[in-house]
Amino acid sequence: MNALVLKLPPYLQIKRVRPATLLVAALLLGVAVAIQGGAVSVTGSDWLSILGLGEQQGGAGGAYVLWNIRLPRVFFAVLVGASMGLAGALTQGLFRNPLADPGLLGVSAGAACAAALTIVVFSGLNLPMPISWRVWLLPAAAFGGALGVCFTLDRIARWITPGSIAGLLLTGVALNALAAAVIGLCTYLATDEQLRSLSFWTLGSLAGGNWALVALLAALLLFAWWRVRQLVRAMNALALGESAAAHVGVDVRHLRSHIIVLVAVLAGFSVAWCGMIGFVGLIAAHLVRTWVGADQRQVVPMSMLTGGLLLLVADTFARTIAIPAEIPVGIFTALLGSPFFLFLLRGARGRIG
Amino acid sequence: MRRLTHSAQQVNLERRKVCLHVGALAAAFTVAPTHAANPANSRRIVSVGGALTEIVFALQANADLVGVDTTSLYPESAQKLPSVGYARSLSAEGVLALAPTQVIVTEDAGPPAVLRQLSASGIPVTVLAANHRFEGLNERIERIGELTGRVAQANAIQQTLQQDWVRVRAQVAQHTTKPVRVLFVLAHTPNQIMVAGADTSAQAMLDYVGANNAINGFSGYKPLTPEAVIAARPDIVLLTDQGLKATGGVDGILKLPGLEQTPAGRSRRVISLEAMFLLGFGPRLPAAVSALDTAIGKVMRV
Amino acid sequence: MLMKTSMETDLMRLDCVGISLGASSFGPFSLQVVPGERVAILGPSGAGKSTLLKLMSREWKPASGQVFFKGQTLTTWNLSDLSRHRAVLPQSSDVAFGLQTDLVVGLGRVARAHDPQLPDIVEACATLAHATHLLGRRFDTLSGGEQARVQLARVFAQLWDAHDGLILVDEPLAALDPGLQFDLLDSLDTYASTRNHALVAILHDINQAMLGFDRLLLVKDGKLVDDLPCSQQAVPALESLYSISLSCVTDIQGSLVITPMRKAVRRLSAAGAIA
Repeated sequence: MNALVLKLPPYLQIKRVRPATLLVAALLLGVAVAIQGGAVSVTGSDWLSILGLGEQQGGAGGAYVLWNIRLPRVFFAVLVGASMGLAGALTQGLFRNPLADPGLLGVSAGAACAAALTIVVFSGLNLPMPISWRVWLLPAAAFGGALGVCFTLDRIARWITPGSIAGLLLTGVALNALAAAVIGLCTYLATDEQLRSLSFWTLGSLAGGNWALVALLAALLLFAWWRVRQLVRAMNALALGESAAAHVGVDVRHLRSHIIVLVAVLAGFSVAWCGMIGFVGLIAAHLVRTWVGADQRQVVPMSMLTGGLLLLVADTFARTIAIPAEIPVGIFTALLGSPFFLFLLRGARGRIG
Repeated sequence: MRRLTHSAQQVNLERRKVCLHVGALAAAFTVAPTHAANPANSRRIVSVGGALTEIVFALQANADLVGVDTTSLYPESAQKLPSVGYARSLSAEGVLALAPTQVIVTEDAGPPAVLRQLSASGIPVTVLAANHRFEGLNERIERIGELTGRVAQANAIQQTLQQDWVRVRAQVAQHTTKPVRVLFVLAHTPNQIMVAGADTSAQAMLDYVGANNAINGFSGYKPLTPEAVIAARPDIVLLTDQGLKATGGVDGILKLPGLEQTPAGRSRRVISLEAMFLLGFGPRLPAAVSALDTAIGKVMRV
Repeated sequence: MLMKTSMETDLMRLDCVGISLGASSFGPFSLQVVPGERVAILGPSGAGKSTLLKLMSREWKPASGQVFFKGQTLTTWNLSDLSRHRAVLPQSSDVAFGLQTDLVVGLGRVARAHDPQLPDIVEACATLAHATHLLGRRFDTLSGGEQARVQLARVFAQLWDAHDGLILVDEPLAALDPGLQFDLLDSLDTYASTRNHALVAILHDINQAMLGFDRLLLVKDGKLVDDLPCSQQAVPALESLYSISLSCVTDIQGSLVITPMRKAVRRLSAAGAIA
């Protein structure tokens, strides 16, 4: 790993610190700060209470909020951000394009489309279903939509120009348009009540975080990370171009389908549980690349850390700035991501190219 | 932003007690002396939905209110209460921070995850729908009366409302002229107008007033093409005050494609009423129906 | 019997290989390359030289015929095994993202799961390609010539520990200055000789071909029109290939220098080669 000196003003210079260490430290700090912030005031005795020491509180006091709402939400934000960051890094590596994004592939749109269809079509059918399943129906549909889009994408792109990544990008554009049209149609056909469900889902919020989701997402992320570690060296070869990568022994098609599935799984899951939150994958991966260079072996893990940090900060602002109300987190991901990116650009002027 | 640092710790429970006492004290000064806050069962109510908040105020239980949403604009004093934000994107922690004993919401409220979290924390969450009917309003009043412990006041209000309602319906029934065709305009883009079809609160109001919706054939709020607007031949265009202002007044409305060629457009028959008043289906419903009826009558005579 | 023996010793063999791209069809190409050979592919633009090379490198699958590499059909080779025996130096050296140069060189060996000597090999290859001073810089900050050196180093790294391999070179030198061209070809020659790698290169400069290569493949209009050793006898074929008259002179050191005739006649002159 390279140790880099950031081009910051002298009083801020951090010499010889590994970027990853810096990010982990920042993330831990962020988590600590985020846990402190929120509408409900949380005290030391609340902490003792949830750890099983001290007096147990009943009702919806600080301890309850801390354990059931705030902690899961903070970890949820970090994990969702990390999965978005990972998906963004994978997409950019796949397309060899610093502006690529799972949204471009049509994954998010596909997930949204499946959810919209589920809301409008299925809820009208009144199928008998146990209540516990109902809760999982919408996210499962969105998840399935994301995967469906990715497989379709891969198939179609092979017919068009086998092995070409530009063809993939264009296919993604077309699928995006199709999904958007279907969503528009669903919006048009929806009854008032269905429209309400649709709008909850598209507002983009991390409010649904609970421990079950955190555990699920952590497991998913671990699995994705394990899988990606085996692919990063080959991903570096993609930078040479598809044909050159094949010449040095990389099975480009195989690699591409692996990456696509991973991206679909990660991005689809985030969209399914949180609605549409944009920018995190794009900004995280791009920032990391600007900072430490384009070696995927570093870009991928650091994109995860950066994505987690970014979304955590955004969500913390979103839920603390207008207490007791809450602002949609997507606004903050855009507001925080862009200026920071400009600042980093300024510091790395000569290297952007 | 409420954030406690380690050096300024106070036990949550004590803080709540202090707040309640202060609140009770404040209530004693702001509310009419005939009603005293009941310190033994202190209720803390969060109300999400303008109409529901109106009902709470009408029952004189507003001393118990600790938080309202952004649509709770009437009466004026409701706007001074802490806001929990937009009904569709509530914050669990935000509501819990107000330490409510009861949360009353309209069917619009959400996200569902937050409502679930609130119920799971042990706080009763009551969803009240109005179904755009006077009977729905009655049910709401009754239910809120129970929840706030103002059953007697609720009954009283229901009786008053019933009398008003009967009177207003009689007034409407007296009209002998042909029903007018009214087009309710919700919003617009440069090319299209979003109007109310069947099964909407606007449609319900028109039914009560004995007018016909110029549009039939679909339900909900949908966009209309200019041709469809002309084919609808509305005699009157109805909007909310806010909608009218946003479009630039009567002149602005009539510039929308298609409206100018309609009978309403040619005679400049445009009515507007305040949004929550017109569509809230709150305690002002009889007054709203009466106001709408009068406005229609006035504009048709000219 | 004789054919069978030569099949087994062939490094690469094309058997009536053809492909159609859009409206044009290329082939059938039939040729052999033996280990250690130096083959230059010459021909006018659009003749199909790149196509031939791509068929040899497995970038394109032939529509008809078969390509054999080390006795086995090219399409049945495992990609990573193939990469240890065959390397391709591309025409354009576009590397996305501006990777570090040492990383780019190391990418030649990316198919190897376990590679403990990678840093040393990268260093050695960079030295061979005269690119040591470029390590540690970003690839997209290099000039065209420097990028070509780095790509060459990558190819060196790829076949570093192989013998009797095949290096396919697709006109990478076109935009470089003459000094650099000879420099790189020289490095390539030295490298290939020590490991007995065969070299198949598309060239535009007839003299380069004559100087450093053993054999000429002449491609015109999608067909292999000639396959002859590099010597003065090849000149008439070259003339008909490019439809231009050539003059041959022998310089002071005794090397053959071929240039187009001053007032180049666009049609073959019946007089043939001019000594």
